[in-house]
Amino acid sequence: MIRFDHVGKTYPDGTTAVEDFSLTVDSHASVVLVGTSGSGKTTLMRMVNRMVDPTSGRVLIDDEDVAAMDPVKLRRRIGYVMQASGLLPHRTVAENVATVPHLEGVSRRRSRSRALALLEMVGLDHKLGDRYPSQLSGGQQQRVGVARALAADPNILLMDEPFGAVDPIVRAELQKELLRLQSELGKTILFVTHDIDEAFLLGEKVVILKPGGVVAQEGTPSQILADPADDFVETFVGSGRGKRALHLEEVDGRQVVVDESGRPTGVLHAAPESRS
Amino acid sequence: MSANTTATQVLFDAPGPRGRRRILLLSVLSVLLILALIGAGLWQFQRNGQLAADKWIPYLRRDYLAFLGKGLAGTLEATAVAAVIAFPFGLVLALGRISRLRALSTVAAVWIEFFRGIPMLLVVYAFLLALPAYGVTFPRFWMLVIPMILVSSATTAEVFRAGIGAVDRGQNEASAAVGLTHGQTMRYVILPQAVRLVLPSLILALVSLLKDSTLGYVVSFNELQFQGKTMVSITRFLVQTYLVVSVIYIVLNFLLTKLAGLLDVRMHRRAAEGSGRR
Ligand SMILES: Nc1ncnc2c1ncn2[C@@H]1O[C@H](COP(=O)(O)OP(=O)(O)OP(=O)(O)O)[C@@H](O)[C@H]1O
Ligand SMILES: [Mg+2]
Repeated sequence: MIRFDHVGKTYPDGTTAVEDFSLTVDSHASVVLVGTSGSGKTTLMRMVNRMVDPTSGRVLIDDEDVAAMDPVKLRRRIGYVMQASGLLPHRTVAENVATVPHLEGVSRRRSRSRALALLEMVGLDHKLGDRYPSQLSGGQQQRVGVARALAADPNILLMDEPFGAVDPIVRAELQKELLRLQSELGKTILFVTHDIDEAFLLGEKVVILKPGGVVAQEGTPSQILADPADDFVETFVGSGRGKRALHLEEVDGRQVVVDESGRPTGVLHAAPESRS
Repeated sequence: MSANTTATQVLFDAPGPRGRRRILLLSVLSVLLILALIGAGLWQFQRNGQLAADKWIPYLRRDYLAFLGKGLAGTLEATAVAAVIAFPFGLVLALGRISRLRALSTVAAVWIEFFRGIPMLLVVYAFLLALPAYGVTFPRFWMLVIPMILVSSATTAEVFRAGIGAVDRGQNEASAAVGLTHGQTMRYVILPQAVRLVLPSLILALVSLLKDSTLGYVVSFNELQFQGKTMVSITRFLVQTYLVVSVIYIVLNFLLTKLAGLLDVRMHRRAAEGSGRR
């Protein structure tokens, strides 16, 4: 369980990124922070693994204040996936994944075979293990980033816009993959995005942030959609603009879902696919 | 250096067809000019009898070759020893320079600026004349090589520092995120990439070390140029000796520069790949 207890962050240059933020992320739950650029999402996420220390308040993991923990040890037991995969260009994919286990003293052979297994787990052929990151596509690099974050078998996974830099098709694939992984592994996931669709897809709980880390609304996707707290949330989730106020039209004998301005957004199947 | 090259590529447009034609024309003209100068020089030598066979044949004699060969060995030895000590020392200086410890970084900065700014000849004189006055003497070899190390390490320190600065900043964050300590980040992430980036510049530093070793004549160390000088004083074949010596230097440096160019191309490809998808 991760608990943000009235945390605030003012950077040395005087920028107040987060004023007063509180949130509880239950164990094995996936919570998505969503908000516009500069709303303090990355800042909040980095407080968990102490890449940022809050200037007020505390962050607790299983009721222990992270401020009292050694940052390096803390980070090794928390997986972190960055927007740009952040892989080391001079190491092979397998070496990248095995970085931390290797530093922790796991033998080269064992950490390698674990790395290859992890690659398979995130949907990559283990043959890619001997390539360099530059020889992979952007989507593959992100998968490697996820595999590396899982390498130390952490209970907590922090994901900072991990799928922001890939095209929509690959992104959808990666999202599906993450849902599958989550149902298998049951990690505690804190996920950051500025894409509300991604937030609703991946989050059991979604937190919508205004600039300054102010919580505009917190709840399950359906709660937020059904009952937006204010105009900001309404605009943000698009329901105000009618983007999500959908209705059906019949075209060539098929049910087409159309938004308020008449733009088709999808096709209705006879038996609607269930989520996840 | 890679950073410079990219800056050049950014600052200057690739020449268009007209620009390329002009460059070609200028290249042809300068080649012709150089050939003409060489021709004029040869003609001059010819008129003064410098090209006479008997003045050149000695350079095929085994004792002449051995004499120059000894010089060549001295040059290579001085260069190699200086490089082997100076480059790691330069790296240490660079690390000191970027250290978070204020005192350390100041000391390193002052040291680097001092030896980068001072002509090497002065440092050699210090070892030849000044220090012995205080009873500190070194063998000839070290009177040449220590100044080479001092000057070269200061220059390569700056090369390393630029290389470290050129490594993508995201790499620091990525390393912190997976739980590397500051030291591990330096060792496993930043330095390996920085060294790759500066490898071509290091080879060029080797070229300049090779040239610096010619100051060996000041301390009478048997390097190539000093051997040449001695040979001239014996044979009086001034033009021939120095031509032969120059050709040896030029060939050596050409090979090194060529190597640097090859490495540069390879490293660039790597670096481009490495940052391609960020
Ligand atoms: N190291 C820093 N020093 C000073 N100000 C910073 C620093 N990092 C972030 N900020 C500022 O804090 C605010 C919040 O930044 P943060 O990176 O947390 O936003 P974000 O929600 O992650 O944005 P994005 O969606 O663009 O990633 C911004 O105004 C930013 O300029
Ligand atoms: Mg961010």
